[in-house]
Amino acid sequence: MEVLEQISGLLQQGDDEKVLELTGKALDQNISPKDILDKGLISGMNVVGERFKNHEIFLPEVLMAAKAFYAGMDQLKPLLIKEDIPYLGKIVIGTVQGDLHDIGKNLVGIMLRGAGFEVIDLGKDIPAEKFVETAKHEQAEIIGMSALLTTTQPAMKTVIELLREQGLNAKIRTIVGGAPVSEEFVREIGADAYAYDAASAVERVKQLMEVE
Amino acid sequence: MTPVVQLSRPDILPEREAVLRFQGMADGMTVQGQVTALLAEALDIFNETCEPVGIIAELSTSEFRKLFRGEGENAGDTPLEHIYPQAEALALFALTVGGEVSRRIEELFAENNFALGSMLDAVASLSADKAVEVCEASFLHDLVQRGLARPDHRALSYSPGYCGWHLTGQKKLFQHLQPDKIGITLNDSCLMTPLKSITGVLAAGRKEIHLFETNYTCCCDCRTYSCRPRMKKLMDA
Repeated sequence: MEVLEQISGLLQQGDDEKVLELTGKALDQNISPKDILDKGLISGMNVVGERFKNHEIFLPEVLMAAKAFYAGMDQLKPLLIKEDIPYLGKIVIGTVQGDLHDIGKNLVGIMLRGAGFEVIDLGKDIPAEKFVETAKHEQAEIIGMSALLTTTQPAMKTVIELLREQGLNAKIRTIVGGAPVSEEFVREIGADAYAYDAASAVERVKQLMEVE
Repeated sequence: MTPVVQLSRPDILPEREAVLRFQGMADGMTVQGQVTALLAEALDIFNETCEPVGIIAELSTSEFRKLFRGEGENAGDTPLEHIYPQAEALALFALTVGGEVSRRIEELFAENNFALGSMLDAVASLSADKAVEVCEASFLHDLVQRGLARPDHRALSYSPGYCGWHLTGQKKLFQHLQPDKIGITLNDSCLMTPLKSITGVLAAGRKEIHLFETNYTCCCDCRTYSCRPRMKKLMDA
């Protein structure tokens, strides 16, 4: 369908106004919200993600595309909820307790939404209990944690221990990232995955959830 | 009395190319007109919202030795413990570009204006780095005026959280310098508010005292090795 290709292309160019307009046009043509999402918006973001990974484009271009994605998504969201269309998966993300840096975490959330996941962003300075309680309540498959400080990264271990204590560590997987976080630290605390940046976070989450 | 350093907006504004590189622009990459416009807007917002201010306070080598021990969590061997005893003079510093910029960044993200928010964040981070360079130059200039250093000497900054100086070192630094006087506070995690703030020690002396091999244990965890271009720039100057 031509309009979906146009949505995908304009999204890649970061044209949020045109994406919004064409999303409305596609709905007028009785194209299903799920098709508009998958074949228009997510398809466009997948191309953007791939080009970003290959260093063909850089962060500002990805984020302009993300704005266009959200413009279309905001229009589709009520319809997707009404039709009970499932997301690829549900992820709870946040910056750990004591840490107020959230740019990296925000970028991860933007990229995950763009890849078709439902993201519950708890924000920053989040206690371990809140991560676990929200993931349980929302039946999320993954908890994603971010830390920028060496003094706050141990809080990631607290979340993982809490999941273990409650016997949830097999059901709710964990992914961590942030400037001081290394592969070695991830092994040490027993997290399920490590994301170096926002693009790799999407790949790791897909691997954890066995999503193509 | 702790001297307040004058930080003017034009002095701390980063180069456009530096901002784009900070955002991940690779060599030979074509920058779209949209991105250039975004950068111009971010620089305008920064100019309107930044409130740069800093303080510098000299201290003796023995005072710094005690302060540097911090909470006892530093790496076993660090570059700084070989640098500061050779310095002609030392000073603690703290600076910030203010809290309004961070509030604006949050607003932009909340409005889904991610690209502008991220660009403004990059501008603010690099401006804080440039403000440190202003402090370094100001400290050295003052020492030269007082006959305590030569014009060919250099003052460079070192901060808790880097090169083996543990982040908890902020606690002693804050006790000594009291940056709350210019609106910078520290929480239990040693996180500063406003976010775009930098503290550390300025070590002034011969260029050579700042040179070291990047083979310390703490270097293994480093992702940036930003010390290497800094040392190169120092020697090329």
